[in-house]
Amino acid sequence: MKLIKKYIPLAIVFVFGILTLLTYYVPHKHSVNFLEAMNKWENIVSAFAFFLGLISLFYSHYAKISRKADGWGYSIFVYIGFLAIAVPAYVSHGKNMNGSSLTWLGWAFQYIYNPLSATMFAVLAFYIVSTAYKSFRIKSLQAFVLFVAAMVLILGNVPLGQMIWEKLFGWTSCAISDIVDWILHVPAVAGKRGIMIGIAIGAVVTALKIIFGIERQYLGKD
Amino acid sequence: MPDTTLLIAGAWISAGLTIFLFSFLYKDNPFFKIAEHLYLGAGMGWWFQVYLFDVLKPKVWLPLMNHDWLVIIPALLGLSLITQFIPKISWVSRYGFTFLMGYGSGLAIPAGLATDFINQIGGTIQPFANLTGMSAFTFFNSVLMAVGVICVLVYFFFSLEHTGVIKKASNVGIYFLMIYFGAAFGNTVMARFSLLYGRFDKLYAFSSRENFYATQIILIGMVIYFILHGFFAGKKTASGEEAA
Amino acid sequence: MLKDKLNAVLKIDRRWIFLALAVVLFGAIMHPLGLISNKISRDTQSAYDFMNKLPAGSFVILSLDYDPATSPELNPQAMAVARHAFSKDLRVGVVTYAAGATALIEKVFSVVPGEFKKEYGRDYVIFPYQPNAVAALTQMASDIYGIYDKDKDGKDARSLPVMKEIKNYKNVSLVVCIAGTSMPDAWVAYAGDKYGVPVIAGVTAISQPGYGPYLQKKQLKGLLGGMKGAAEYEYLIKTPGEGTSGMDALSLAHVMVAALIIVSNIAIVILKYL
Repeated sequence: MKLIKKYIPLAIVFVFGILTLLTYYVPHKHSVNFLEAMNKWENIVSAFAFFLGLISLFYSHYAKISRKADGWGYSIFVYIGFLAIAVPAYVSHGKNMNGSSLTWLGWAFQYIYNPLSATMFAVLAFYIVSTAYKSFRIKSLQAFVLFVAAMVLILGNVPLGQMIWEKLFGWTSCAISDIVDWILHVPAVAGKRGIMIGIAIGAVVTALKIIFGIERQYLGKD
Repeated sequence: MPDTTLLIAGAWISAGLTIFLFSFLYKDNPFFKIAEHLYLGAGMGWWFQVYLFDVLKPKVWLPLMNHDWLVIIPALLGLSLITQFIPKISWVSRYGFTFLMGYGSGLAIPAGLATDFINQIGGTIQPFANLTGMSAFTFFNSVLMAVGVICVLVYFFFSLEHTGVIKKASNVGIYFLMIYFGAAFGNTVMARFSLLYGRFDKLYAFSSRENFYATQIILIGMVIYFILHGFFAGKKTASGEEAA
Repeated sequence: MLKDKLNAVLKIDRRWIFLALAVVLFGAIMHPLGLISNKISRDTQSAYDFMNKLPAGSFVILSLDYDPATSPELNPQAMAVARHAFSKDLRVGVVTYAAGATALIEKVFSVVPGEFKKEYGRDYVIFPYQPNAVAALTQMASDIYGIYDKDKDGKDARSLPVMKEIKNYKNVSLVVCIAGTSMPDAWVAYAGDKYGVPVIAGVTAISQPGYGPYLQKKQLKGLLGGMKGAAEYEYLIKTPGEGTSGMDALSLAHVMVAALIIVSNIAIVILKYL
């Protein structure tokens, strides 16, 4: 049983890992054919991964309703929201537009899913302002550097900020947009590139550990 | 297809859902909770239909109908993932996961090495290949960038104790990181405001006469709710205190 | 006395700040300031120049990977880039790896092609969503039809005139990836670096500073950052749109944040040394 439960899966990750890795360096016809088949398979398997999220969400809210847990009534709206999209999708056969007019699905997207999704993230604008006011404290030289970079970007990004800069520092004949460009192309590149190289090393090591079966957490418990 | 009435109804629903979600900024309330749960469900509904009509139907169902039996293998591997929810046979899901991980890791190694490692080192060194054609400012920028990259890498290098020169280099690295984070913060402000602008712009459109002042009416409704809720909640607390 | 007042100002209920932001932003939408910046950032200019130089008939992949959560920033970018591509008579193939993007894409392409008398199937094509971007990008290196055998309506992609003589990356002149995700990284890694396909990205303002290394190494030929990038591109193609009006409306709110940070820190300094 251990063979089926553990060793074969580990052999799969090793074999497919090594073979796809080799395809990057071996432009042979067989290698391309193999990769093409794997691309198609991978795409299909990934699609099923979505159902993990769907089942998990449905199950947790079903459990809440059946246990009559605190706020269980709201869980019903999860199913209502799902049906509000799924039913129009069925009616419209998954089409959003009919020529230049909306289908039922297009309507449901535009007036239900779109405002919900967009507003969820728009709310964060309010928090960034209050955080800027209440928590952005210049307590050290490092924080001061962060403050200067942030301030230049905040003002340099909008026309009014550029005008204010012109009024205050126009005499330097140095446009704020040039400073923004410089920050983004020189010191910020150094900062990000350091992070990028570090992450790349980490990612490659993790991928190797997965292929060689050293990293197995994703397999779950035995 | 949806006529004018439905478009107006859409404006009311959209304005309502938007205001319900924004109402959380004042205080948690049932309208926000309803909209929040609708969001979860609608999001899943949207993804579900996209997966169904864009992927599963054309990539699995139709090929099977055309007797392309090879599709069964990835379909079974995909279905195996779902056994994750059945404890007794959850090990079956390992077949799907290991396939996904093997393929992903195999491709990620060379791509990661080339794009985010070798090319980045190349990008740091490359400017110095053209020293003669370089202006003083470009030379300064290239040196600054190279020093910055090295110092940031030193900062993240934990195998050596950060003392002496290493500590100094690592401290310099922090300043480069701070500039990067500062720039990111400055741009985050713009990003978040853009999203808020998007919603406000829509609310403004829904406030028109053609939409029967949807925004204003729903907003007033929410204000009345909060006033009444505050009033009755206050009364309840007062009577509770009296009873105690 | 002053100390108490400053403390009170610093501890103000954050809902007043929320209200102030709402008033400032909504006010700007109702009464636009009419401010337009004519300063074009280096990366937007590079993106524009690269696409502008492509000969008519070149095939461009437009990877639109944003959903409603980031559409106020990225939709104006997509509109501007699509307008530019059609005005230059380029052929456009639209792909997406963000499930939330499908309806937004159809909306963009229900408007823009008509402005240039472009026809679906002849001048542009929209492909269906694919769940695994890496698989799709890798597949397109050898045979695009291996993953995109059909368009979004289920029509045979090979039979569409827009796809004439298009087989793989060798026939693709440019990829423009407008994404609220890390899709530009994938395009750079799996198409740009390995197969030499030029890649331009359009990203949210949050992600913009993170793409500096790719731009410096020319792994990206240009970059549009957030709504500002959209406004700049609209300026370059001389078609003001949502990006331009948006940046105008955001002006006051930006200055408000800058002022709040400065005021709160001055208050802290006064409290400390008074």
